[in-house]
Amino acid sequence: MQTENNQNLFVAEFKKYKSEADFVAFKTVSEKSRDYTVRNGKPDQFYESNDSGLLIEVMKNGHIGYGATSEFTSEGINHAFKKAMAMTTAAEKNSVFKFTEAIRPPSKGSYETLRSRKLDQLSLGEVYDFLKKTSLALKTNDKIISATSDVMLIETTQNYLSSAGAEFTQDFDIIVNSMQATARDGAETQTRSLHGGRGNCLQAGAEYFNLDKALQECEQISREVLELLTADNCPSETCDVILAPDQMLLQIHESIGHPLELDRILGDERNFAGWSFVEAADFGKLQYGSKMMNVVFDPTVAHELASYKFDEAGNPAHKKYLIKDGILQAGLGSLESQMRSNLSGVANSRSSSWNRAPIDRMANINLESGDKTLEQMIASVERGVIMFSNKSWSIDDYRRKFQFGCEYGRLIENGKLTKILKNPNYRGVTVPFWNSLSALSNTTETYGSPYCGKGEPSQVIRVGHASPYALFKNIEVFGGG
Amino acid sequence: MKKYLESFSQRLFADLKINEEVSLAVSSEESDFIRFNQSKIRQNTSVNQHDLMLTYQSNQRLYKTKFSLTLDLEVDLKFALAKIKLLREQLNNTDENPQFFAMENNGTSEVYKKNDRPDTTQLMALISDTFKDSDLAGFWTSGPIRQASINSKGQFHYFETDSFFFDYSLYNGPRAAKGFYSSAQWNEKAFLAKAHESKNTLSLLSRPQVKVSPGAYKSYLEPMALAEIMGMFSGGALSRNSYEQGYAPLKKLNEKEKLLSKQFSLIEDNTLSFDTHFNSIGEIVPDKLPLIENGELKNFLTSTATAKEYKLQSNQADPTEALRSFEVRAGTLEKSEVLNNLGKGLYLSNLHYINWSDVQAARITGMTRFACFWVEGGEIVGPIQDLRFDDTIYNLFGDNFGAFTKHQEIFTSTSTYLRRSMGGMKVPGVIINSFNFTL
Ligand SMILES: [Zn+2]
Repeated sequence: MQTENNQNLFVAEFKKYKSEADFVAFKTVSEKSRDYTVRNGKPDQFYESNDSGLLIEVMKNGHIGYGATSEFTSEGINHAFKKAMAMTTAAEKNSVFKFTEAIRPPSKGSYETLRSRKLDQLSLGEVYDFLKKTSLALKTNDKIISATSDVMLIETTQNYLSSAGAEFTQDFDIIVNSMQATARDGAETQTRSLHGGRGNCLQAGAEYFNLDKALQECEQISREVLELLTADNCPSETCDVILAPDQMLLQIHESIGHPLELDRILGDERNFAGWSFVEAADFGKLQYGSKMMNVVFDPTVAHELASYKFDEAGNPAHKKYLIKDGILQAGLGSLESQMRSNLSGVANSRSSSWNRAPIDRMANINLESGDKTLEQMIASVERGVIMFSNKSWSIDDYRRKFQFGCEYGRLIENGKLTKILKNPNYRGVTVPFWNSLSALSNTTETYGSPYCGKGEPSQVIRVGHASPYALFKNIEVFGGG
Repeated sequence: MKKYLESFSQRLFADLKINEEVSLAVSSEESDFIRFNQSKIRQNTSVNQHDLMLTYQSNQRLYKTKFSLTLDLEVDLKFALAKIKLLREQLNNTDENPQFFAMENNGTSEVYKKNDRPDTTQLMALISDTFKDSDLAGFWTSGPIRQASINSKGQFHYFETDSFFFDYSLYNGPRAAKGFYSSAQWNEKAFLAKAHESKNTLSLLSRPQVKVSPGAYKSYLEPMALAEIMGMFSGGALSRNSYEQGYAPLKKLNEKEKLLSKQFSLIEDNTLSFDTHFNSIGEIVPDKLPLIENGELKNFLTSTATAKEYKLQSNQADPTEALRSFEVRAGTLEKSEVLNNLGKGLYLSNLHYINWSDVQAARITGMTRFACFWVEGGEIVGPIQDLRFDDTIYNLFGDNFGAFTKHQEIFTSTSTYLRRSMGGMKVPGVIINSFNFTL
């Protein structure tokens, strides 16, 4: 409910309270999210969420506390402010750390998703038509029992004002487009999708929708799901593995992104998401992976899911190397974590919405490309498996021992793609795994996840991941059953 | 809140045309969230949030739209009426929904529950003080939760409760012991007893670590570890809608190709009162619904929408078809006999990050976490390094099932994504004769 009246009330109310604590900030988030699903050519779900409210930050003796309310009225704001003050006054007596105002810089400016046609221009009928056509295009065979086409259209506006002088607005248009076919023949059931679950997500406007391209993708998905019905199980052995970018996104996310979060290293997440095998002394020293491994934090890439100009503490966003030539350089820590740990960090103080406090998050975490073509990489493998599209993921609370499963695999024998494989899985341990990285393709693909979970209270956040194809040596692979 | 909703719904429903139906599902909370690290306060967030899911139905079509309430009646009504006006214009540009069914008046009711607990500001001090000799990371949550389900056929269910939980872990370097306290009524003695118990567990962890290689081991899972596995039964496994669309880990159980142990019974039991007496569309839920009884699958969770599409009988499952309030029936193994029964193997207090590694085979993978020990001769030898398991539900609760304990523990939901969840479970501990570890 972002109206001009609301904007006036926001500014007027902020002025009332801005001198009432050592530091005060007001943030509004207003998000309209439409999630439409068509299954087998018929409506499955039309769901819309209009989430809107205010987050108040107050600092008392170096401790920041929060009050949030959906009651966007003078009365509601007054109640939330008083509550935040009472709780923060009690909390600061036993707070983990005493911050200074430097953790909330006086940034000014605005950000807008790069787009030519705003998502609010898209009507239900227009979107439904796209989904119906693609859903029907997926259902090419009676063995396909479920063919779903889904799109989430997310329009978000953030406004931030602080007593330190910050004043910024950010406006995002986000599309999450997924298509999925499940086929069954006797006891065998298999699913194939567009880049795995909700991996296909980006910042863009209505111009994203290209029916011809989508229909080609449908053709490939339905062909491959039928192939999987008669495919061999992935063998159990130790061999080479090539991971496609739509699996690499999860590998990067779980075994690089999370363990590098400084709030995890500082122990904040130990009770829920977990700790980290990375220690403060590892920065600048740890050989995280092989020499060809270069990983960046980069919220400045146009169209990637987690691009922005400022994090939610007002820290301006810049690209930064986290891992350079395989050596760990920097962690994912906000100004708060940087002050607590004396480590360098990035602009990654983010929250899921107006009702949660910002914490250290990923944004876009990207693995840079190498110098091989995919064909050269395949040709270099004597025996291995290439795996596409994530479907299963699990890792321990220190981010060491992982196991991933993919939708679709191909056996590689003597430098050539041979049999199609169903249920391709692999497992490993983070640092030895990344040190076995031996080739990267010279192009990257960009995906992401709309649902990265973390925090107490819990929050989901959107992250982007770009990656080339990557070849790893001597990996334990196995099938289903 | 109830008065506000009465005014809001009366005025909204008065605007409806003859062929239109509207239902409102309301979630409201006033929550205090306190986050601890090193037994001190890292973040405090107080949240006052109200949202309303409006389902609009007309001409065999339906649309759900959720929005935040400001509690300014005119502002909120204006927003809702504008949405309905837009849907009148747009929804006919789509097709009929195969899961459409006409709304019904499922009655009226109100339930109020209270919990006398100390003010959160006092609790912050109590927690810091109780654990000042420890390294605690944890999370306190408390405050009122309100839910309502109202529709234009005259239905009006209202529920209000006040709840709290303290979910924490204590550390000695990388070794950790988990603690959890929640109750229908706050009791300081019980809170301190729990604190004492977790400090004791942590002291056991100071013994030298035992190296355990991957392999199959007899294992004991404490109730909290079993609770993690039971979470997998909630994520689509027992949903009839998912089953019909091919997401079917329990297909072999349903087709009697496989059976679980006769000891294994899973019952949705709403008399446990972990959740509201009505589901999110306001249907009164049955007191008890056996899902798996003596190792056989008796029922899937079947919502009225799923029943409509597949011509089945609804059992008033929530539209999400997730477990709400359930029990895994206890066995006969005495708590004092657990270590003896285990003899040699793994004692697991917690599991972490479980996912299907093969849905069709009902195979799950995940990690051990927190206080887990190697046991020999019926005695704890020492803590282990975390292990990854990968095994099937059919092995764990079928071929390799050992025994359930006589004692059960209650776990109310600690999920706080978007909003505080209700729901909970009552589960025993379990001996598994052979549990497969791969990494
Ligand atoms: Zn994540």
